[in-house]
Amino acid sequence: MDDFACPRCRTTKFQNPSLKMMVNVCGHGLCESCVDLLFLKGSGSCPDCKIPLRRNNFRVQLFEDASVEKEVDIRRRVLKDYNKKEEDFSSLAEYNDYLEEVETIIYNLANNIDVINTNKKIEQYKKENKDQIQKSKGRLGKDEFELEELLELEKQMNEARKQEILLEESQAKKKKVQRKEALIDELMFSNTDAKNIVQSFAQQAKEEQEEEAKKPPQKKTKFSTGIEFGRKSQVSFLPVPTDDGPLYQYTPVTLEPDGPQPPAENDVITKGFMNHVRTETEQERAGGFQTNIACMRALQEAMMGLYHTKKVQC
Amino acid sequence: MENKLKRYEKIAFLGEGQFATVFKARDVETENIVAVKKIKLGSRVEAQDGINRTALREIKLLQELHHENLIGLLDVFGHMSNVSLVFDFMDTDLEVVIKDNTIILTTANIKSYTLQTLKGLEYLHLNWILHRDLKPNNLLVNDKGVLKIGDFGLAKMFGSPNRVNTHQVVTRWYRAPELLFGAKQYGTCIDIWAVGCILAELLLRVPLFPGESDLDQLTKIFDVFGNPTEENWPGIKTLSDFIDFKPLPAIPLKSIFTAAGDDLLELISSMLVLNPMARKTCRECLKMPFFSNKPAPTIGSKLPLPQNIRKVADIERQSLKRKLLDAAEGGSLSKRLFI
Repeated sequence: MDDFACPRCRTTKFQNPSLKMMVNVCGHGLCESCVDLLFLKGSGSCPDCKIPLRRNNFRVQLFEDASVEKEVDIRRRVLKDYNKKEEDFSSLAEYNDYLEEVETIIYNLANNIDVINTNKKIEQYKKENKDQIQKSKGRLGKDEFELEELLELEKQMNEARKQEILLEESQAKKKKVQRKEALIDELMFSNTDAKNIVQSFAQQAKEEQEEEAKKPPQKKTKFSTGIEFGRKSQVSFLPVPTDDGPLYQYTPVTLEPDGPQPPAENDVITKGFMNHVRTETEQERAGGFQTNIACMRALQEAMMGLYHTKKVQC
Repeated sequence: MENKLKRYEKIAFLGEGQFATVFKARDVETENIVAVKKIKLGSRVEAQDGINRTALREIKLLQELHHENLIGLLDVFGHMSNVSLVFDFMDTDLEVVIKDNTIILTTANIKSYTLQTLKGLEYLHLNWILHRDLKPNNLLVNDKGVLKIGDFGLAKMFGSPNRVNTHQVVTRWYRAPELLFGAKQYGTCIDIWAVGCILAELLLRVPLFPGESDLDQLTKIFDVFGNPTEENWPGIKTLSDFIDFKPLPAIPLKSIFTAAGDDLLELISSMLVLNPMARKTCRECLKMPFFSNKPAPTIGSKLPLPQNIRKVADIERQSLKRKLLDAAEGGSLSKRLFI
């Protein structure tokens, strides 16, 4: 720690024991007094890398290595947007890939590799996943959820203990008073020796105390259904798969006529086939029936399978 | 015949319908899991006519239909006086998927389901067959995410000019308005209407028009689309059961399907058209931009499965693991014995 000095004013911990190193997003440290001096107006640029900085982004340096501080800062910023949880992925492998990608981004930014492109990537991700980011923001991950549950349990236990103590104390007080009264009664009306009476009472009290020292009762933390008290009803939906397959393209289906090709729908209508068929009534048309359908079916049925020959097995 | 009886080993009872009981069974020859539908012997009167009509329809039509999105009829065999049909085994149906509220249906999922339905239906219509009973319950889905149209008990050939069809087909909620008005001649448009209702149900997760009676059904439909007039539906007054409704204004679909994109709304509005002649055909629907636009339809293996099936799959996987472990231990034991 001795050679640890503010890069600007060269003050060391030795010269000024209350020296506080501050650090900003760029990862270059400054001592508190230099920060006060340089960022009098609230913003300025880093003396090392000339990056414009804000004064209220300065924090007390926790790690000796300022680059660690910088990484922590970057990590916090990146994770604010990359806030997907394990539950958002359909498989562990996908989640791992995602984590790997996040780590790469953080590493790149922390070590000034390809900063422009990486930033662009983040921006694009932000744009694409705007809804997802917003949604995940308030949501607790599995781990946080368990932690919250644990805290809730602890809180309940504390409360139970407090109440128990109170109850016990009041009971003990009551008992003491009762015992005293009994003793006095006994002394007043009994014929035995007063000394014996006092002794037997003292022993009884001692025994009772020992008994009380045992059995701590338990309090319920679950409903009868097995659901924990503090648990919010959170229905676990299935993960929505994001992978998409190939786009659909229509391919027409045709029948194998095994005979001459029957005329197409247009030809049926235009080439006079319809002259030989009775036209549909208005009622039939209103029901969705057209004569050309019947005509086409008749034509098709007449021609289908005309070339059909029995397959001869060799 | 005897070997046919032995060929299918009963595993579990799946359900009971009006005309049949369905069992899950294993095909001993191919080791495939199949569904065996045993047609109930109806009343004496029905039995006099021979085989049950719905079963006959299924046997007649399905034998010649082979499409990935249509249920496959693998085998038919009779025993004593009853008939059993052997189908592909399907794990669940769209109704279960829609009602399972732990499943989130994305646009890509919905696109995949609708696409598969329309593909199957296009093939069906190409072969001059109307399904006449399309509803989520009859769209079967297996654990690989393949959707197959099932239950051909009401299916019928169409396009004969002189044959009169009954209008009492299709479960009421998915029945097209022309059927409700008593049309005796109709075409593929009635199936399209049903698909439109199913698509809407995939989006809303509740039936779009849950009518309590035929009249109520029409009221519910016209509440959304406004009541039809002679202008937008020529000849409507000639339909046998036509009744005039008091004028109702149409409401924009956007306000019903608030989360749907424009291309999806366009698809819905071209399927759910009051006038059957103005409704698009399967082929026209499949060519619409909704299907070719992004997001791409979810591939089968990634389609969501309902809870109970997920659980079964997990258990099976676990038991398999245990079996493997047991085998490993057993192996080491025998080795030890040898030494």
